Amino acid sequence: MEFYLSVMTFTLISVIAVTGVYVLTGLTGMFSLGQAAFMAIGAYISGVLVVKVGLPFALAAIIAIALSVLVGYIVGLPTVRLRRDYISLVTLGFGEAITALLNQMQSITGGALGFSGIPQKTTFTLAVASAAVCIALVAYFKASKYGRQCIAAKSDELAAKAMGIDVARIKMIAFLFSVAVTAYAGVLYAFYTTYVDPGIFGWKKSAEWVIMVFFGGVNSLTGSIIGTAILTALPEMLRFAAEYRTVFYSILVLLIINFKPAGLFGEYELSLKSLGIGREKKNAA
Amino acid sequence: MSLQIIINGLALGSVYAIIATGFSLIFNILKFSNFSHGALMTLSAFIGYFFAVTVNSSLLLVVAISMLAGGLVSCLGELVAFRKITLSNTSPIYFFVSSITLGTLYEGIVTIWVGPNFYNYPRFFETTVVKLGSIVISKSDLIMFVSSCAALALLMLFIQKTKFGRALRSVSFDRETAGLMGIDVIRIIQLAFFLSGALAGLAGVFLGINYTLYPQLGNLVVKGFIASVIGGLGSVFGAVAGALLLGLTETLLINFAGSGYAPVFSFLIMLVFLLIRPQGIAGSNVQEKA
Repeated sequence: MEFYLSVMTFTLISVIAVTGVYVLTGLTGMFSLGQAAFMAIGAYISGVLVVKVGLPFALAAIIAIALSVLVGYIVGLPTVRLRRDYISLVTLGFGEAITALLNQMQSITGGALGFSGIPQKTTFTLAVASAAVCIALVAYFKASKYGRQCIAAKSDELAAKAMGIDVARIKMIAFLFSVAVTAYAGVLYAFYTTYVDPGIFGWKKSAEWVIMVFFGGVNSLTGSIIGTAILTALPEMLRFAAEYRTVFYSILVLLIINFKPAGLFGEYELSLKSLGIGREKKNAA
Repeated sequence: MSLQIIINGLALGSVYAIIATGFSLIFNILKFSNFSHGALMTLSAFIGYFFAVTVNSSLLLVVAISMLAGGLVSCLGELVAFRKITLSNTSPIYFFVSSITLGTLYEGIVTIWVGPNFYNYPRFFETTVVKLGSIVISKSDLIMFVSSCAALALLMLFIQKTKFGRALRSVSFDRETAGLMGIDVIRIIQLAFFLSGALAGLAGVFLGINYTLYPQLGNLVVKGFIASVIGGLGSVFGAVAGALLLGLTETLLINFAGSGYAPVFSFLIMLVFLLIRPQGIAGSNVQEKA
């Protein structure tokens, strides 16, 4: 039971991170290969604040998210005006820089050995509640004016501009939103494992998240979440060796991109309406 | 002392240039950032390594084998991951994901094949340094610099002077029109992938000699990416200029602050460049094309 609970908690944390990636990649069509670095920032800052400064967990989490968003703003500032390739190249460089910084600043972060002694605050209940809130926020964002502007900018930037959408601004909003969500996933992660090291936040992690989004369906939040759940939980349960897991992932996703580019779920979104209950039934009655 | 830094910087920059050029070739022709380039470097470097160990061959042969392997794997990758997207003309986003996935696949294969260990190329030369007065140049740096220059010069000659080079340029400029003019677009794309893969093999061997050989060696591709951002995405000339500039600045800064901070420096250099001159040295496509 303990094992399944831990697998589920990790899966939920991944789901939270991927909802952040979904906002960026699924809605806005941008790729961040430094997204895991924001998770690292969230994890390390909150961990250091609690362990070394003695702040309460909630306050540390809020400060960590705020600082991540600030850093995200600095990274995003020169890139949102340029073509979308830049954001992936710049965030890739950013991720490597953060990993190097974490390795170098040994007195604060513990260097390559990692930072340990973080109290365990993340419970399964907290993870469930957080995931629910994040999913709801992202779903709301997608349905809001901003979400629609994101989708417009993703499909055709020039046309979106012609319709009066401030593309650079909407890209920045999406980027910062996704950074905040991912940083929060980092906080939860640090306070669940009680130990973080720089190695796990490389660009591979970010790439894995992008792959998960595409596996489920790049246009569907439901698909992204279910895709993440499948790709995270299943290999854990089956106890695959980690190397085989990545190969297995990659082949699966290459197949999907080649033969079903819209992903498993296409445009489908889970809602009361699509399940055939709720509003429609009322109308029929 | 300062001359020493310049020489080391140029040697480093020349490898970055090889990476950045291979990346730019693909960016030019299919307009996407090929993130499988780094893992391809590692894969072909390992093929070269195992060849060197089993056959006990010279450096030249290892380089040739790695380049050939890189080129062939790159072509295969194009067939598996990009061909369908090219033909169906869907969103460039898919190229992106395909390349990231392909990179993960290569790296996964390498990890399964060799394990997480570190490998060293056999020593190819007896003496390791060349002395010119007070300046010490390591022999591998020298060979690296010379062969990078030779490879780039050959590539430029090929692109500018031959029939295939002209076709390559026209497909990069406008794929559809080039097709209408009777150019076999798919074959030219394959050619670009072969050239890019061969350059990845070359860079992989040199990085493997300079550092050690391990499955995550491909992460150094970031330097090539940064170089091409500084130089201007998609411009081969810009990539070379950006790479040399990056190599020099990085060597200089490392000299003051230690090599652990190198990724931080290259990131900051890129950020400053993007703020001041987003179009890069060569000044090319920064806006999304409609």
